[in-house]
Amino acid sequence: MNNSLLVVVIASGVGYGTPLLYAALGELVAERSGVLNLGVEGMMLVGAVMGFWTVQRVHVGSTAVLAAAIGVAALAAGAMALIHAFLVVTLRANQIVSGLALTIFAGAGGLSSYLGNDLNLSGSPARHQFTEPLPKSLQDLKIVGPILFGQSVLVYVSWLCVVLVALYLRWTRAGLNARAVGESPAAADAMGIDVARYRYVHTIVGGALAGVGGATFSLWLTPQWVDGLTEGAGWIAIALVIFAFWRPTFCLVGAYFFGALTALPFALQAHDVHISGDLIQTIPYSMTVVALVLVSTAVARRRLGAPAALGRPYVREER
Amino acid sequence: MSASDARPQVQQEIVTAAPGGAAVTLRGITKRFPGVVANDHVEFEAAVGEVHALLGENGAGKTTLSNILTGLYRPDEGEILLYGEPLELHSPRDALDAGIAMVHQHFRLVEPFTVAENVLLADHRPATRSFLVRPREVERRVGELSRRYGLMVEPRARIWQLSLGEQQRVEILKALYQDAKVLILDEPTAVLTPQEAEALFETIRAMAADGRTVIFISHKLHEVKAVADRVTVLRGGKSIATVDAADATPRSLARLMVGREVEIARRVGDERAVGDVVLEVEGVSADGDRGTAALLDVSLSLRAGEIVAVAGVAGNGQRELAEAIAGVRPTRSGSVRAGGRRLRGGDPREAISAGIAYVPEDRLGVGLAPTLSIASNVVLKSYRRAPASRGPVLLLSRIRELAAGLMRRYDVRAPGPEVPTRLLSGGNLQKVVLAREFSSAPRVVVAASPTRGLDVSAIETVHDYLRQAAAGGVGVLLISEDLDEILALADRIVVMYEGAVVGERSAEGADVEELGLLMAGGEEKR
Amino acid sequence: MRIERRLEQPRWLSFAVPAAALVLATLLGGLVLLVTGHPPVKSFRRLFEAAFTANGALSATVVSATPLAFTGLCAAIAFRMNLFNIGGEGQLYGGAITGATAGLLLADTPSPVAIGAMVLAGAAGGALVAAIPGFLRAFLSTNEIITSLMLNYVVGLILTYLIFDTHSYLRDTKGFQAQVFPQGKTLPESATWPSWTIHGLALPLGFLLAVGLAAAVWALYARTRFGFEVQVIGDSARAARYAGMRTRRKILAVMCLSGALAGIGGASQDGDFRHQLDPRGLTAAGYGYAGIVIAALGRYNPVAVVVLAFGLGGLQNAGYTLQSADFPAGLVGVMQGLILFCALGGELFVRYRVRFERRAPKPAPVAPEPSR
Repeated sequence: MNNSLLVVVIASGVGYGTPLLYAALGELVAERSGVLNLGVEGMMLVGAVMGFWTVQRVHVGSTAVLAAAIGVAALAAGAMALIHAFLVVTLRANQIVSGLALTIFAGAGGLSSYLGNDLNLSGSPARHQFTEPLPKSLQDLKIVGPILFGQSVLVYVSWLCVVLVALYLRWTRAGLNARAVGESPAAADAMGIDVARYRYVHTIVGGALAGVGGATFSLWLTPQWVDGLTEGAGWIAIALVIFAFWRPTFCLVGAYFFGALTALPFALQAHDVHISGDLIQTIPYSMTVVALVLVSTAVARRRLGAPAALGRPYVREER
Repeated sequence: MSASDARPQVQQEIVTAAPGGAAVTLRGITKRFPGVVANDHVEFEAAVGEVHALLGENGAGKTTLSNILTGLYRPDEGEILLYGEPLELHSPRDALDAGIAMVHQHFRLVEPFTVAENVLLADHRPATRSFLVRPREVERRVGELSRRYGLMVEPRARIWQLSLGEQQRVEILKALYQDAKVLILDEPTAVLTPQEAEALFETIRAMAADGRTVIFISHKLHEVKAVADRVTVLRGGKSIATVDAADATPRSLARLMVGREVEIARRVGDERAVGDVVLEVEGVSADGDRGTAALLDVSLSLRAGEIVAVAGVAGNGQRELAEAIAGVRPTRSGSVRAGGRRLRGGDPREAISAGIAYVPEDRLGVGLAPTLSIASNVVLKSYRRAPASRGPVLLLSRIRELAAGLMRRYDVRAPGPEVPTRLLSGGNLQKVVLAREFSSAPRVVVAASPTRGLDVSAIETVHDYLRQAAAGGVGVLLISEDLDEILALADRIVVMYEGAVVGERSAEGADVEELGLLMAGGEEKR
Repeated sequence: MRIERRLEQPRWLSFAVPAAALVLATLLGGLVLLVTGHPPVKSFRRLFEAAFTANGALSATVVSATPLAFTGLCAAIAFRMNLFNIGGEGQLYGGAITGATAGLLLADTPSPVAIGAMVLAGAAGGALVAAIPGFLRAFLSTNEIITSLMLNYVVGLILTYLIFDTHSYLRDTKGFQAQVFPQGKTLPESATWPSWTIHGLALPLGFLLAVGLAAAVWALYARTRFGFEVQVIGDSARAARYAGMRTRRKILAVMCLSGALAGIGGASQDGDFRHQLDPRGLTAAGYGYAGIVIAALGRYNPVAVVVLAFGLGGLQNAGYTLQSADFPAGLVGVMQGLILFCALGGELFVRYRVRFERRAPKPAPVAPEPSR
């Protein structure tokens, strides 16, 4: 039973979906405050490489080093996000271009490759990796075993992150202020909310989460470092935020959906079934476009659409 | 009150002492801006538990005064007292902390949020700072305030679902939630239906009965009479008088608002032959930007060589009328006829080809493309024809010549036609717009507030151009808030109030007070 | 710190700031190299050599520059009108698909016909992909950033599907290699785009087309009614409406034109360089996104775009050539990124004036509100 196609696909989906989930949560946090950050792929890679470096070079006990690695990954990616925040919030640069510049700077063929190469990180497997910590008895349970209990700590922490982000946005005053900044920075500013500060913080936190997502690759899923390890996961995360209509809980579902679709071709091969994985994979994107069109009627847009001020710099003195 | 004011009085005439003790006192408030004294030694006092109306025309200084009271501006001279104690305001935050709140004409609400969320968002009092959002509590309190003051609105409703009237209630609730003791309402009935306005008055009375002070800025006489206890009239930056609302009549208030020896530079012997009808507006109704009705069954006609002025305080539908005629705003019903045919509404190209030229109120935002050159702007409407283009190709040198020629003729002061229009002064901007519009040999020119923000010589120039156009057989529809300008230029005056035409008078021998009365919604009309 | 919009943009600033950005980026890059133990000057020199001066480097640079020029033009045309078409990637794929199809179908026609058809088909394919976000934005006010982005994924997957998952017309089913690994059918001789060599520099048809199109786009925007309307709409949509311009049709038209340019770039990839439909290669290259940053750097001027495509193409090319143990991998991306960051930051100084003021109690604004 636990080796059936469905269970395998879902279980792998959860696995593959986890870096997507982290990165998408991060991007969601940034976008809710009105900042579009297309540099997710770059930030994930920097997080992946720096997390990997920590594990290879820092000599302490396994748990400690893994925790430290996550921390380093978050910090490194957060630093990348800081560049983007500085450019778009303080220097009023175009958010699209700045994000793309960040991807070029930090992504494959950029800083992450530079670091990976200079620090001699490719070629060897990770000295420590995340494993599946729960007892085997739980992991062997029918269906839920592999799917829920056979996962790494990173997966469980990601669920915690979803809850935290959802609570933050909906139930805290800071979250309310942040959402106001993303919907109507002028109104928020008029009410004394510091638009710039919220945008900075949200963008940096967004980067940190993307970094953790990247580390999920290099420390668990494919515990090694190669150039461009994430293979476009960052871009999928961006689409995922939109697909989830900027809601954290939908991100969870969507991430596993996307993850399952990614795992599908491999699982199909192993089971000797031949369906085109690629065409199936177009489904979420096409769905998103259709949904966006439906949502474009002015009324629905308000309920389901993007944060109104997404992508536009806020300048108070603008004449 | 004297029957005729030879000169506006500087000293305040306070008729009655403040009933419940002074809440807000402004003494000798003066505020200067480059070229204008917006407030000139203004004396004002509103009492505890009073509804005090601030009445005046455009440019009288009402907005500046309220901006000073809410901490946005600092007065150059004078002092503010709150409950008898001096008050220093450095920022809007200070005013809010002191309990002074303002409900603006343009709401500051976040559309996708609920009423409760907006109210909470605005609350920055240190005492109520909290980590968590407690929607239930906020909704409860909002519900309480709603019931108490008659501000019926569903706390869980989202702003985009609400009508403008309901949105305004949210703005008031924001102020009440923070326990504001002095509330300033800026032209609140502009967006309300008559029923909603009644409900608002109830709310105002309830707030006053509670010991709060409500300052009600308006230009509408009947409202002022309906809800205020006392009225302070501002004119030309000065406070003219403070009277009991009960004792005043619309006439007396209108006289205070506009009364002056109007020295009109009427052109003598400037008899123009008036020709056929060039513009016929029949029963036009249209919606405004916010979806509410802005024009109600408006009709007027304009003849060649005539200057017809549309008078009224801004916000009574004049801009929307100009836009409807120019095709920029679609109409709900009625028709606009020009150039011998009925124009399809909502299509600027139709209007342009029918010979209607439109000089919009917002020069740089609508009438011109700011970063493009003067030359480009000169051909903004005519680029599809010769001499600006041949087929799909633009003839750049011809366009430059054209622009240079127009710049000379209309005395536009700029280094050359390649200069981006954004760099020009207000007067020159307007000259460019006029040059373009007149050069298209129009039959009708609709000019909306054409001299707003211009200095004296520029105003003169614009007036000359308009007169010349009329002398040349063009029908000029002048929309203006400035009665002086209207009286100087117009042959006929049409007064608009709340989207409808309330009166039409010949400019010759017009009664200024009567015009003021009509503009403020007075009874004498029809 | 206060920021005010500049009233004028002095000419010299438009050149000085990008130049300063370039200098700053070089310094920063040099710093990074220094800190990580690489010789800065030597590294930059090797980069420059590999890009431009080494044997055959210039020709290789042209190869890299060609797709970038097309996608750069694609982005420039749209962004100029405040249409944020980030779907150049997908539009290029679309053109590659239709271009390859045309090339294969017309195997037995004379070369000029086949090539002409490929160019047109490529343009059509790209335009079609762009028409979707274009239509949605023009008539339904849907955010084009999101819709064009989504289509990148969709068309990319379709591209992969056509070769890897089906035995479509485009797939090579006969060749020896094809049995082992899916790949596209090799395009026939007639569909091989020509290349002209001048003084040892190989100029493929695609590159020349790009240059020609850049000039055409420049002329279109500077000299025609169409271009005039684009300028006005990009500057002030309200003024455009006031003047009676048909904004919605223009939006659709510009998006299609934009897509067509990227599409020709896709056809060029088929005809000039790869000689087959190559999903892996195309999706890995990321030409579309690179084009956007080039367009932004060039401030949406078509001529600048081609020049910059050449420059960044050179960097790209140098990156490929220098991949080895003793040359810092990723330097190319880092340098490109630094140049972009500095240029983006520099934009601020061109458009706004920055003033540093001591914090005082909030000063009252100087000008009065519009009279009331």
